[in-house]
Amino acid sequence: MTILKALFPWGPVFFGLGFLAPLIAALMINLTITAPFGLTELQTGLIVGGTWGLVAKFGGRWI
Amino acid sequence: MSGAEALGPTELDKEEERRLYREEMAIARKYIGPFPVVMALWCFSNLLCWFALWPLVIFDVIPLWAGFLIATANVALCYLPSHEAQHSNYANPGTPLRWLNELIGYVSTIPLVLPFKIARYTHMRHHKHTNDPKLDPDYEVIAPTWQQAVFKTIRRMQPGFPNSYGQVLTDNADDPAAKRAGLEGMVQSLTYWGILCTLAWSGYALEAAFLWWMPRLLGNIYISLFLSWWPHHPMKEMGRYRNTRSFSHKFGNLVAFGMEDHIIHHLHPGMPLNRNKAAFRELRPILEARRCRLEDH
Repeated sequence: MTILKALFPWGPVFFGLGFLAPLIAALMINLTITAPFGLTELQTGLIVGGTWGLVAKFGGRWI
Repeated sequence: MSGAEALGPTELDKEEERRLYREEMAIARKYIGPFPVVMALWCFSNLLCWFALWPLVIFDVIPLWAGFLIATANVALCYLPSHEAQHSNYANPGTPLRWLNELIGYVSTIPLVLPFKIARYTHMRHHKHTNDPKLDPDYEVIAPTWQQAVFKTIRRMQPGFPNSYGQVLTDNADDPAAKRAGLEGMVQSLTYWGILCTLAWSGYALEAAFLWWMPRLLGNIYISLFLSWWPHHPMKEMGRYRNTRSFSHKFGNLVAFGMEDHIIHHLHPGMPLNRNKAAFRELRPILEARRCRLEDH
């Protein structure tokens, strides 16, 4: 329970990496969007999802 | 006293008050009794439909966009059967069908990921303290227009916005029922996120997003708008006969999920949703005598 309480505030980051990253990658593949800078779709997803999660965690909102 | 205010026991003649109350209860009793078959069927057919979408979409029987539209409807529709269970309208504690009541409460809102015990705990407080800015857990939905209510609901979904249901549980941390509700809620939420992430990393990210994640967000907005904002707007008055209103929605009562007669639900929570309209018609003269907020013209 203590661990969960400590991890809970980082939920947006976990969500960004755990769900948004593969979702972004799947959307890129589906829409045939080429990843920039020679990255793979999944690497792009991890960068975008992780950054977005950090913004949500510290900014308090996703949008 | 203005004509728009409700007539309570102090304003009404005592004898008139007693007569109105007796008549109201006599009518209400007719609609409260029988087992709400419609609501139980609603629960299981809606849930079955939502579960069926997964193989249908994954095996390309139906396109993802169609699955998304149906799933969004499923999520929006899944709350109301559980709502009946929150009020023990399928079976009271200690009766043979109590298990069914609790089962419906738990499973109906799987698509919405609304933990049953949290829903029941907070909803009872909503009934007890309707429109009380401090004590009504649904008061956060207050907004001057429905469009602003939608934007507010989106804002309430953001991680930095205080969670009013979580606050109720925190405020009642000594209550074992609140503790249990919180624990169940945490398990259900973690399970949801776990399933979503597992699906996403297993190659089903689009299915997870468009059959569950997005429909849940949209369903939440719809439910919040039609079940919380519309029937209680402008949320200024408290008291049995004035805290909820009847209204006419331009797209009809089906689109409004039967909430046009939500005033009946607040007066008689034991009456299933599908009988509210008929009860409203019969109770109307009494509600008019009480100067309830009948804004359905």
